[in-house]
Amino acid sequence: MSEEKNEILFDLLTKKAIYGLDEAEEMQLGQIDPGMADAEFRSLEMTAAAISMIDFGEVVPMPDHLFAKISANAEKLVGQESPWPPVYKTDENERPASGWFGWLGWTAALAACIALAVNIYITNSKPQQLAVNPVTVETPKVKTPGELREELLKSTAGLIKANWAAGNVKELKDLSGDVVWSDEKQQGYMRFKGLPANDKAKETYQLWIFDKTQDKATPIDGGTFDVAENGEVIIPIDAKLKAVEPGMFAITVEKPGGVVVSKREKIAALATVETKTS
Amino acid sequence: MTQAILQRIAEGDRSAVQDCLKKYGGLVWSIARKMLRNPDDAEDAVQEIFVDIWKNAERFDETKSSETTFIAMIARRRLIDKIRFSSRRISADSLDDVLLEPFTRADKDMQVSLEAQQAAEAMRTLRPEQQQVLRLSIVQGMSHQEISDATGMPLGTVKTHARRGILQVREYLGLGGSSVSQEVRA
Repeated sequence: MSEEKNEILFDLLTKKAIYGLDEAEEMQLGQIDPGMADAEFRSLEMTAAAISMIDFGEVVPMPDHLFAKISANAEKLVGQESPWPPVYKTDENERPASGWFGWLGWTAALAACIALAVNIYITNSKPQQLAVNPVTVETPKVKTPGELREELLKSTAGLIKANWAAGNVKELKDLSGDVVWSDEKQQGYMRFKGLPANDKAKETYQLWIFDKTQDKATPIDGGTFDVAENGEVIIPIDAKLKAVEPGMFAITVEKPGGVVVSKREKIAALATVETKTS
Repeated sequence: MTQAILQRIAEGDRSAVQDCLKKYGGLVWSIARKMLRNPDDAEDAVQEIFVDIWKNAERFDETKSSETTFIAMIARRRLIDKIRFSSRRISADSLDDVLLEPFTRADKDMQVSLEAQQAAEAMRTLRPEQQQVLRLSIVQGMSHQEISDATGMPLGTVKTHARRGILQVREYLGLGGSSVSQEVRA
């Protein structure tokens, strides 16, 4: 088969596995089917099924009424259509242990207890180690996020910049600031004015990065952060995956520690990328 | 080793039918809700899918796929039929509309089956354009033409990314394939 025909065949098989084919396409597939297309299709269909389950997050439980309906119908369906023979199950867990194996188990347990007791005795008998004089190491000065942000602004071309605008939280109408991000360095900083201090015990802020490598429903987690005092704050971005050409940044208010799935009930701020420095 | 629920159904174990519903009800419901936005349509589809699963239980071969992936495949097959029949497709949201949907962390490996986890790993080995096309087509349900319109890629390029991407993921998952498929993936 020619290379061109192969490509058409696999385009059709791929389409069939992802979307299904219309009559004309099915006919075309039948005409060039070299005999192995069915097996190829099954494996592509299986692959598409595996991909379709990516990023499901938490599986949503089926509604109770639907479960009950299907369950009742299953009983009917099974009763009518399938006079299945009874199945006699043997459950290995219910099998009583034979005499010898029972004794072996008890002997092993006894040996483990003796070993544990000896270990505790030896551990407690060791002399206490004397404290060693600590070595003084001069720690380098740690740069503030503000200083790091300035360095990033000076050093890198191709920076993405976006200004923060208020989200859906009415109290945060006066929020402003910006976000800078370097694809090359995978580093960025958020600057806020008017983002109020949060009660860490109750909630936290979480950044989401929408970039071109990810589906819009599964943005990259940019890390959680807290704001200790009102005024200007600069927060480093802690992207959990490589971000390439982010198009939008969003800050949500979440429970402490952040979330895997955000219900986006409280969107504190949004920044849509409009400029990229050359 | 525990016997697969589908094998038990195929052998006539009535309790396995309920076990199947309990274990995979959420998965099938999630797939249906993702592919069909209308909850009533999704409810109808889920009922039909479970009948399909029970009828096809004997076809399950644990050497070829996991039970979860097999069930997802049966579910998708029925849903694709329904979508084609009603000529409805899921369309991608605009960037603004993104805010109407829950966000799920892209890095969180909460995959529902080993093959889904491996598929996620395989996707990360693809070129970004291939990942994008496969996500938009398989996960979001956009047609090749819609992807072309939304991304600005020529239609032929979208098809090529879809074909090469899915063949590469299949190879990564070890789900089979002929030497001919390797030629067209290259």
